[in-house]
Amino acid sequence: MELRICHLYPEVLNLYGDRGNINCMQHRLRWRGIDCKVDRVGIGDAADFTQYDLFFIGGGQDFEQEVLLNDLRQGKDKEIRAAIEDGKTFLAICGGYQMLGHYYETHDGVKNEFLGAIDFYTVGGDVRMIGNYAFRLDADANPGAQDIDVVGFENHSGKTFLGSGVQALGTIIRGGGNNGEDGKEGVRYHNVFGSYSHGPILPKNPKFADYLLSCALERKYGQASLSPLDDRIENAAHDSVMQKVLAGTTGSQD
Amino acid sequence: MKKTNLIQTIIAVAACKAARSLMRLRGSGGTALPGKVAMAVAKNILEVTSAGMEIIVVTGTNGKTTTSRMLEHAITESGRECLANKSGANLLSGVTAELTCNATWTGKPKTHYAVIECDEGALKQVVPLIHPKVIVVTNLFRDQLDRYGEITHTRDEIKKGIDQVPETTICLNADDSLVSSLTFGIPNKVVYYGSDVPIGDQKDDGISDAKYCIRCGHEYQYHYHTYAHLGSFYCPECGYERQNAEVAVTKVNEIAATGSSVVMRIGAEERAVRVGLPAVYNLYNAVAAVCGYREMGFATEEIITALADVHSSFGRMETFDLDGVRVQMILVKNPTGCNQALEYLSSMKEDFTAVFCLNDRTADGHDISWIWDADFELVADQERDPSAKKLIVSGDRAEDMQLRLKYAGAQAGEIELVRDNDALLDLMRKSERPVFILPNYTSMLALRKVLSDATGGKDFWKG
Ligand SMILES: [Zn+2]
Repeated sequence: MELRICHLYPEVLNLYGDRGNINCMQHRLRWRGIDCKVDRVGIGDAADFTQYDLFFIGGGQDFEQEVLLNDLRQGKDKEIRAAIEDGKTFLAICGGYQMLGHYYETHDGVKNEFLGAIDFYTVGGDVRMIGNYAFRLDADANPGAQDIDVVGFENHSGKTFLGSGVQALGTIIRGGGNNGEDGKEGVRYHNVFGSYSHGPILPKNPKFADYLLSCALERKYGQASLSPLDDRIENAAHDSVMQKVLAGTTGSQD
Repeated sequence: MKKTNLIQTIIAVAACKAARSLMRLRGSGGTALPGKVAMAVAKNILEVTSAGMEIIVVTGTNGKTTTSRMLEHAITESGRECLANKSGANLLSGVTAELTCNATWTGKPKTHYAVIECDEGALKQVVPLIHPKVIVVTNLFRDQLDRYGEITHTRDEIKKGIDQVPETTICLNADDSLVSSLTFGIPNKVVYYGSDVPIGDQKDDGISDAKYCIRCGHEYQYHYHTYAHLGSFYCPECGYERQNAEVAVTKVNEIAATGSSVVMRIGAEERAVRVGLPAVYNLYNAVAAVCGYREMGFATEEIITALADVHSSFGRMETFDLDGVRVQMILVKNPTGCNQALEYLSSMKEDFTAVFCLNDRTADGHDISWIWDADFELVADQERDPSAKKLIVSGDRAEDMQLRLKYAGAQAGEIELVRDNDALLDLMRKSERPVFILPNYTSMLALRKVLSDATGGKDFWKG
């Protein structure tokens, strides 16, 4: 078995340790004897998107987004939309998540048109939602995911609102999430996982990581049974952040 | 701005000194409180207690402490009295405390010169009060992201500071496209420093803090890289490019663990310079310091002499003798600095123990995601570096650090998690190999205290 991963725009969307997600997927596949090949597809690169099973899109800095949107309009936009409708697995974080929606409207009313691959939009907010946070994957949006709690760090002022036919990824345990209002976090559409949990969301959420990999393997091979790994170190990191979140502390003993 | 009167000044100075004495009596090294007390009495007391001084300010994400130490060392070695905020007190309250506690009872400064290390975000509060003669900006790397959001925001914060002091000479890193862009639209005298030749690892690993032109968004090209996003950049679209440096490294003869030998061009003159600190980033600190020193109006001869015996300071690369065990501490707080430290470790021929301490307090940044951008593989992967015999993790986020090392190639059983600094001290004392500690900021402060106490070293706030 083999998964082919496409790391989209690694040179621009690379904020906050996004590399950790790729690193994690590679290791968790290889530890199970599953091959894994990662290609970096950047601005100006031509690539055949149909050859990939899993796409990763990270977060980025505002002023670099213009460069990126121009490149998307050269054809990658259509390929991404086709891959999504084809059931390919996507992990999209922060800016990469926002990019899949219709648009981002800034505070002063400037509207940046995005991909519109999924029915949601984002508006600039007054308050920055920042800090360790946690959410639980919604079972109805994520078939087969049982009691998976995800911990991460959010840092965004954009507020995302999902269209009526689109399901959230999960329900906030503590934190801001999509918009700080409706208690929801991220998006789950076909096999797209969008989240505000920037940086390395996968390493300290091994159950979520495996669930994501299973989706990609199932899509490709019709079934996926991932053998269990020794996740003691992963779970220790998960639990220590969950404790922080539940206790309402960020940096301890400041 | 309301003028501070003499009565207020006397009370503020007295309150500041009293607060500091009290804190020292209690054995606390806190640096902000005395300044806050003084500011509560007289908001702009710093303007009074710095009046008439000639001050050089150093700011930027990496290297400001070392660059400040180089400057201070040169100024004092040449026989001048000089004040410096040694203890990392680089916010408005800390700078206020340092200058106010060292003023006379009526608020007159006791020394004519000062070297002030200033936080990038605090620059705009500090410089309008102290009117520095020179500001040196070292570099801009991603750092403490949840405090500033984005690296361009940090740049804009520095710009807000510079905008308030049009008379001040600004020394900029020519090789850093973000730093050198500070020259846009300012009336100040600007002088550049940098490296005229490729030094360092010279790799473009695709992860850059400044890949696209800050002026037009086009991708930068490089004639050569030094490290990270530093180098001879140019924008083929709008023409923004590296400026000629007034002070520059022109040849590297040797970079070794004990220091480097280089040729520096200072104006039109070429000089052999020895820098008594290892690693490429200290060469940048050295040219920054020489540039700033020169703009202060001092003889460059003095700083060239001083650079040869400048010593590691304050956790940046400090060595302790712990009952015969050599313990070297290197502060790491962002991926670029961390990678340099990891490369230094992986260049060791001898076996060693590596200790990684990670806190997530306000001064560190609550977001520790950056550890996934640093190449811990260099040390944790036994196949790549068989000399790291033992790995220890500690700090508020020890579990995250442990996880990072696992994915960097360390075997689960090789990593030991030690929560308590006293236990860590015991473990290091018993080590049969030299120990390298890579802490981030607040864990460095705590560890340094433990190590100083154990080795009879001087407490940092006593200088
Ligand atoms: Zn340009």
